[in-house]
Amino acid sequence: MKIAVRFYSYFKDLTGSAETTETLPPGSTIADLLKQLMARFPELGAMQNSTLVAVGVDYQGRGYVLKEGDEVSLFPPVQGG
Amino acid sequence: MKRQLIITTAPIDEAALLSKRKISDDMGAVVHFLGVVRRTEEEKTIKAIEYEAFQRMVGHQFKLLFDEMEKRWPIDSVRLVHRIGVVQVNEPSLWVEVVAPHRGEAFAACQWLIDELKRVVPIWKKPFA
Repeated sequence: MKIAVRFYSYFKDLTGSAETTETLPPGSTIADLLKQLMARFPELGAMQNSTLVAVGVDYQGRGYVLKEGDEVSLFPPVQGG
Repeated sequence: MKRQLIITTAPIDEAALLSKRKISDDMGAVVHFLGVVRRTEEEKTIKAIEYEAFQRMVGHQFKLLFDEMEKRWPIDSVRLVHRIGVVQVNEPSLWVEVVAPHRGEAFAACQWLIDELKRVVPIWKKPFA
């Protein structure tokens, strides 16, 4: 299945892009997606533990099972205010 | 609970916001908070901060926060304005107003809302020297 991934804040600089698409086997989790992305973008590796992940507009944990069509967003800790 | 959220690139017009303030007869406390861009960011002198937002998620996360706020305190109304784009030093980036029956819940709710904003609302800042 294909999963659309968007990057925000300095993750765009680290990856050199605002969005990408990853192909994963059915049943894959966010942890699987992150592992694949870290291999493709090693610069994200240092941020692995603090990376926040949303599917659509809701935060999801590493165990979330992805579905075809999910829009995943990856970003560093937020800094509003 | 009445609620208003404004995410804007325009400067925060406090006078205009205050002119639209509505307080129900049973309310006894109004707390305002203004967040202002400091000249120093992580021990470096800066000229401005650029705020970036994941806007669709910002709206959703604020809705969840306002829902939770309404469960925790008897708030009459909350209004929140957050700048995005470039905000110069000494300019406000955040304006919050909480109206409640008593000062205790108004202060507590306002503090909680700002703490949670900084924890879950997807807005990021990029300082410019």
